[in-house]
Amino acid sequence: MRVFQAHGPGIRAQFDPAEVELLRSLEEGISQTLDHGDNDDPVIQRLFPAAVVDDDEADAELRRLLRDELLESRRSGLQALVMILDRATPHRGRLRVQLVDDEPLLVLGVLNDLRLAIGARIGIEDIDRDAVAPDDPLAYRLAVMDHLGWWQEQLLELLEVPGTPTDATPDDLPGGWP
Amino acid sequence: MIVWDDPVNLMSYVVFVLRRVFDFSEPVAHKLMLEVHNLGKALVASEPREQAEMYVSQLHGYGLQATMERPS
Repeated sequence: MRVFQAHGPGIRAQFDPAEVELLRSLEEGISQTLDHGDNDDPVIQRLFPAAVVDDDEADAELRRLLRDELLESRRSGLQALVMILDRATPHRGRLRVQLVDDEPLLVLGVLNDLRLAIGARIGIEDIDRDAVAPDDPLAYRLAVMDHLGWWQEQLLELLEVPGTPTDATPDDLPGGWP
Repeated sequence: MIVWDDPVNLMSYVVFVLRRVFDFSEPVAHKLMLEVHNLGKALVASEPREQAEMYVSQLHGYGLQATMERPS
């Protein structure tokens, strides 16, 4: 059953109670990681990535400049998720909540942050998924990432980018294209 | 402004973000996403420094790995 469905002016989410617990625990984990802010932590490195190539000094300067705003937006997204989950109400064994205004977009971004954090934590770059045994704890982490990814796909289907021209072709590339 | 490939971000999500941040049409965003996916990176815009910094900030906010060239 889909978690996100169009409903009235917004999107309705219906979670399994276990899914809400999962989201809450993931949120707690990532919030703690953000609080610690350890620059050697792969999750922090992934959520606050390089900004300038080939110039370490300029990179450090720009990252410093962007960091507070980036941290603030990640934290406010996580807080919004918690508030959304807090107002979910039971309905036929599931927890139902209506997302309004920019909440679907916020949830989409938070789900992405949660997936990025899991990926960085397990070192996804070096994992051969086909070689992971079903009883390996990694298999569970990968399954969680996929599950949240499936939710993202549902939200993306429901969210349309407004006001973009539909008659452009791939040849209409951005300015400065070589 | 370069966007780098990433094993976590969904292809459909990258298209969505490129359309939102740069106002690209769907075909343009899709082509750039495939370039990132297949070649490891794609040049998505060439902008003056301040504009580039703003785009980097927005793309990082969405969780994309984006870098700009060394400011001169």
